[in-house]
Amino acid sequence: MVQTEAFIMLSAVLFILGAMGVLLRRNAILLFMSVELMLNASNLALVAFARHWNQMDGHLFVFFVIAVAAAEVAVGLALIVAIFRTKQSINIDELHQMEG
Amino acid sequence: MTTEVLLFIIVGGIAVAAAVMMLLSENAVHSALFLVINFACVAFLYIMLDAPFLAMIQIAVYAGAIMVLFLFVIMLLGAEKLQAPTRQFRWLAPLALALAGGFLLVTGLAITSGQISLTGPVTRAPMLRVVHAAPFAGTVDVYANGQPFAMGVSFGQATTFTSVPAGDYTVELRPEGSSTAALTTTITLPGDNSRAANTFTAIAYGGDASTAPQINLITDNQETVPARTTRITLFNAYTEAVNLVDFGSEGDPSDDRVVVNALQPGTLVELPPVSEDTSVQSWAFTPAAGGAAIFRMNNEEIYSVERETAQLLLLASESTFDDTVRPVALPLVTDAVSSFGGPHAIGELLFTRFMLPFQLIAVLLLAAMIGAIVLTHKEDFRPRRRDVRRRVMKPLAQAISDQVGQDVLRPDAEAPRLPEKQPEPAGD
Repeated sequence: MVQTEAFIMLSAVLFILGAMGVLLRRNAILLFMSVELMLNASNLALVAFARHWNQMDGHLFVFFVIAVAAAEVAVGLALIVAIFRTKQSINIDELHQMEG
Repeated sequence: MTTEVLLFIIVGGIAVAAAVMMLLSENAVHSALFLVINFACVAFLYIMLDAPFLAMIQIAVYAGAIMVLFLFVIMLLGAEKLQAPTRQFRWLAPLALALAGGFLLVTGLAITSGQISLTGPVTRAPMLRVVHAAPFAGTVDVYANGQPFAMGVSFGQATTFTSVPAGDYTVELRPEGSSTAALTTTITLPGDNSRAANTFTAIAYGGDASTAPQINLITDNQETVPARTTRITLFNAYTEAVNLVDFGSEGDPSDDRVVVNALQPGTLVELPPVSEDTSVQSWAFTPAAGGAAIFRMNNEEIYSVERETAQLLLLASESTFDDTVRPVALPLVTDAVSSFGGPHAIGELLFTRFMLPFQLIAVLLLAAMIGAIVLTHKEDFRPRRRDVRRRVMKPLAQAISDQVGQDVLRPDAEAPRLPEKQPEPAGD
């Protein structure tokens, strides 16, 4: 049996990769995909701990996270489409309007 | 290195590599496809972690629905490649790398030197129930370590499974309402570190008008049974050893079949899985010493095979009106416990303890649906030209017409002009 530690470590690595994607990429869609990667990494940690503690609650949380992610993607992509329609760009560096 | 560890390393490596490629690829479509690979790898890891249902959801919802939505939007906007990135925050990249390195370092330290032992799963609290099969005890109250466990249990009844901490318990049977114990015995409930159900049944059986009954602790096998079968476990709480015989068709000795041979009093045997269309009406108990059947299970209402259950069949003594005993088979049917991480178990939790969050998530999804529609709905805010004319109120237009002497509401009307100014009347 693979130790829980290994899964938590893998989850941390995936989370960091997702966070770096959010910080470094400028494409709004890629940003969203990086957020999905981070959510996925946290899901992996939840499932690993669910097995570790013999409790199914972690699985339920993963279920809810997936549902929230679906809602977030629906609204987020709708926002991106709306922004693209007005600005003709989804480069987030070109989107800031409220700088002083 | 076991196969499982090897698989973990391979699949985890692919997942990390796919995530890195997602970050590095310039084409957004390639990034999305790399993310699909990553999601598939994580689904595989879910299966390794005993979460088959979540693995299924991961593939269907994440890798399927969500990523298709991403690809659709990328294609719709034609945003595969961003034109010449305008780097405005040059200091962000090294900072992000430093932060990532720091986070990884801290997480690694926390995991490797943390106080939580992650190397072995924790034990699971056992579940206990008490079965009353003692013919002369009457209705009893059950106490465990002096605390009430179940009140008013009569012959043939079983309490529900109750989760109790592992350890030693002094179980007392007291006649109902009494404070003196008719029977005291000590049982030990071990913890268990497997993910299977960890259930125990304390059976009080035997005894007669003068001697107290005895308590036997048995381990129940409540695990998932194969589909369309039931698990029958037989416990002999009678006074003598018995055989369980399937007599087949009536009056035909050739198709008799011995299911269990010489089951000693106080012992337990688990039958092979019984399929749901098996009829147990032809089953009967015979003395192991030989002789005619002492009990026939020919009551259809009591003895039947229900699918996906774990059935404990007790052959007990029942007291009759003249204080003699006769054998009776007591079926205790419980649903087999859903397997860890399976759809059954998730559904059970979802519709009991997690009902409110489930409803909230449903409302959230509905709100997201409406939000997506509102955001992408193309609304034309520019007022149309025809409306401008219409919007002038009729009485006002009438008043203007009276002033300028021509109809202003006709589309081909000339621009209204005010009448020539009348010369002021000469003053005094």
